[in-house]
Amino acid sequence: MMQIYQGIDIVEIGKFREIILRHPDFIPDIFTEKERAYCDSKKDSSVHYAGRFAAKEAGIKALGIGMSGGGIDHTLREIEVLPSKSGRPELQLSGWIEKLSQKKHISQLTVSISHSEHYAIASVVLTGKQNTV
Amino acid sequence: MSQNLITESMVFDELKKAIVETLNVDANDIKPETSLINDLGAESLDFLDINYRMEQSFGIKMARHFVLEHVEEMFGEGSAIDEDGALTDKAVELLKLRFEEDVPELQAGMDMDEVPALVTAGSIAAGVMDILESLPEKCTHCGASDWKAEGAAVKCGACGEAAVYANGDDLIKAWLEKVQTEKNLF
Repeated sequence: MMQIYQGIDIVEIGKFREIILRHPDFIPDIFTEKERAYCDSKKDSSVHYAGRFAAKEAGIKALGIGMSGGGIDHTLREIEVLPSKSGRPELQLSGWIEKLSQKKHISQLTVSISHSEHYAIASVVLTGKQNTV
Repeated sequence: MSQNLITESMVFDELKKAIVETLNVDANDIKPETSLINDLGAESLDFLDINYRMEQSFGIKMARHFVLEHVEEMFGEGSAIDEDGALTDKAVELLKLRFEEDVPELQAGMDMDEVPALVTAGSIAAGVMDILESLPEKCTHCGASDWKAEGAAVKCGACGEAAVYANGDDLIKAWLEKVQTEKNLF
């Protein structure tokens, strides 16, 4: 039976900007090289980083994983958010996150990101197959 | 060995400072058993902020991977998380050992996204303390055994270089190996 998993996340851009300025390791820890190249090419990179962070969080929520809390969560880095040829953002999973998504038989991932002056928001929908007993 | 330069209470005070600055809460509301999510309303960005603040204060590297991710890497896929994305019996047994206290909410079959709410100020402080206890006997730069604490930072009294600790992930792996040798869980 088909199963749909959904996750949504909102990020306050001002708070996000303060955190990335305060902690130089944040960007390389959480974002892949390709994501950094994309965001850094934009006029206000922090808005794009915030949108991608929201998408990663939404992906984690859709997968039902939750954050680790006891450390600096590298699983966020394993959800890569990059533009397709048409410019729409797409999710690419790797590492442990990819393995967890395989357990849920995820076959389709869609993401939508939007932002205003103060907030970035993202929604992720995953389509999978429910495990049968 | 930590050589008692940084005590548990110093770590907890520094953590309280980080939590207060990040979440804008009253320091008196932060106890070792306080859940950052349930009691203080922390979200994932806050967790990252708090962890980075602790790294900067103590000059350490916190774990980048969750303990259950290390379990699956070391003991095989499915050893910690079952086909439905829920915690296995063994994962629960292991997390109970990790938390070093009775956590009644921790049950086999619970979803992974229920675990972060179990993270307390005390469990974060314990993770920092584990790293600080990896302080080598001698300075890795000059070989002197003359550590001095300057606030939360430990430096070599002879050459002035900052102490280099083991990172959080390596310590989790070493702990898992020790638990596996003693308990043969997996």
